[in-house]
Amino acid sequence: MSEKHPLLANFRDQIQRCSRCGFCQAHCPVFGASLRPALNARGKMLLLKEVLEGKLELGPELAESIFQCTTCASCALNCPSGVDVPTIIKTARKEMVDLGTCHPAFVAMDQVLEQHPNIYAEDEPEDFDRPRNQKAEVVYFMGCVGQYREEEATEAALEVLDYLEVDYTLIDEVCCSGVLEDVGFEIKPALAAKNLELILATGAKTLVTGCPYCFRTFNNKELYAPLKEAGVEILHLSQFLAGQDLGVHTNQVVTYHDPCDLGRHTDIYDEPRQTIKALAPNFVELPHHHADALCCGAGGGVRGAFAKNSLDMARRRLAEVDQVGAEVVLTECNSCVHNLANAKLRAQKFRVLTTAQFIAELI
Amino acid sequence: MQIQGYEFPEELYYDPEHFWVRVEGDELVLGMDDFAQKLAGEIVYVQLPDDGKKLKKGKKLAKVESGKWLGKILSPVDGVLITVNEALETDPGLINRDPYGEGWMYRIAANDVSQVEDLLHGVDAIQGWIEAEIAKHAEQA
Repeated sequence: MSEKHPLLANFRDQIQRCSRCGFCQAHCPVFGASLRPALNARGKMLLLKEVLEGKLELGPELAESIFQCTTCASCALNCPSGVDVPTIIKTARKEMVDLGTCHPAFVAMDQVLEQHPNIYAEDEPEDFDRPRNQKAEVVYFMGCVGQYREEEATEAALEVLDYLEVDYTLIDEVCCSGVLEDVGFEIKPALAAKNLELILATGAKTLVTGCPYCFRTFNNKELYAPLKEAGVEILHLSQFLAGQDLGVHTNQVVTYHDPCDLGRHTDIYDEPRQTIKALAPNFVELPHHHADALCCGAGGGVRGAFAKNSLDMARRRLAEVDQVGAEVVLTECNSCVHNLANAKLRAQKFRVLTTAQFIAELI
Repeated sequence: MQIQGYEFPEELYYDPEHFWVRVEGDELVLGMDDFAQKLAGEIVYVQLPDDGKKLKKGKKLAKVESGKWLGKILSPVDGVLITVNEALETDPGLINRDPYGEGWMYRIAANDVSQVEDLLHGVDAIQGWIEAEIAKHAEQA
């Protein structure tokens, strides 16, 4: 008898291994904001078990549950049964795309990237008044959020590179399209090819990006393997800046929000802190930090499709900034800074910045 | 007045970027018009700058986002931001539900209120503009 959901069936053992302990509820940002069990890993595994047993259809009525996950991986990290929830969620999403029951917001995202070079279908990127497609030692890749939603953060990153006299170039970049694989679709080969062509044409031996998601995509996705094959070192901006002597200091009380895509997903915790502590000795950790950091709520497409819950998740994170009394919360992800800055209430007097923005203020 | 299903109060001034302005003495109240809020979809974020922000005509006052769109609100006049609609901080959807009433966005002290005369005003001007906008967006759809 053929399997109705062949991709999901590969994870039958893990789905059945979920013991319903609910440990994941203590860490899940979506559950924390909504208190809805169906939106938490335990609830999702229950639903998928029913699907695999043929008692429930993997239909559009499950989209709100299956597609409302930031893929922050807090659940997997804390699961005593070893259930790899993010991978299972992404597989279920892929099944739903194949069935035509995908959440419409993500169908739209895939369609946008079929026709446009960025996820926002914007036609006019910010210029940043810097040369593009030049021969250089370093390519700086901005990412869609950096180009179209957090231009000030990108401008600051470029100012810091200028200050350090880095030989870099921008390129006429297009979306890395890695996010599509989180939501059931696939990276666009044409977009990947365009980025590869532009990056390799510069002769650069280092690719630096301010976007942790682009960083993961370039490092991990097969379509971008030619980068490493050409000897290009791929770095996140926080890695590039770590150890640089910036020559500036401040007494401001500063804290740091670990982005999921940089922290839990790539184990980059120390480099951002190394830079920040050198600038700001009055550094304090948030109550949940490093691998235990609370997700900002933006990832996995949640900010686009479930904005209210996304911003509620961000507000829960920002409450921790108030708790530690920081004047500034820094982060190394444009999506995080966008969601956190949007969620910050006027009554909250701390500032939300990328580390590069903070450095740019001081230099 | 209703224009092809969109509400456009005729006493207001309108910027071609789709925000409305109501004149109250030397102060202006500003919000998003019905065509824009429908096109944008559910508004999820409205930037609320600090009171006292200095404004220049034609320059960015704030940003507003829906799930699929980010728009820039430009100041219609030189002046100062008096206050914002703080209800939008946690309920930006007010703009969708009541764009000309509870969904107002900013109150501005104008240096020279006559600068609003550069905006669209009056039944004929508003109607001509919106009918053209509706046709343009129908073509692009």
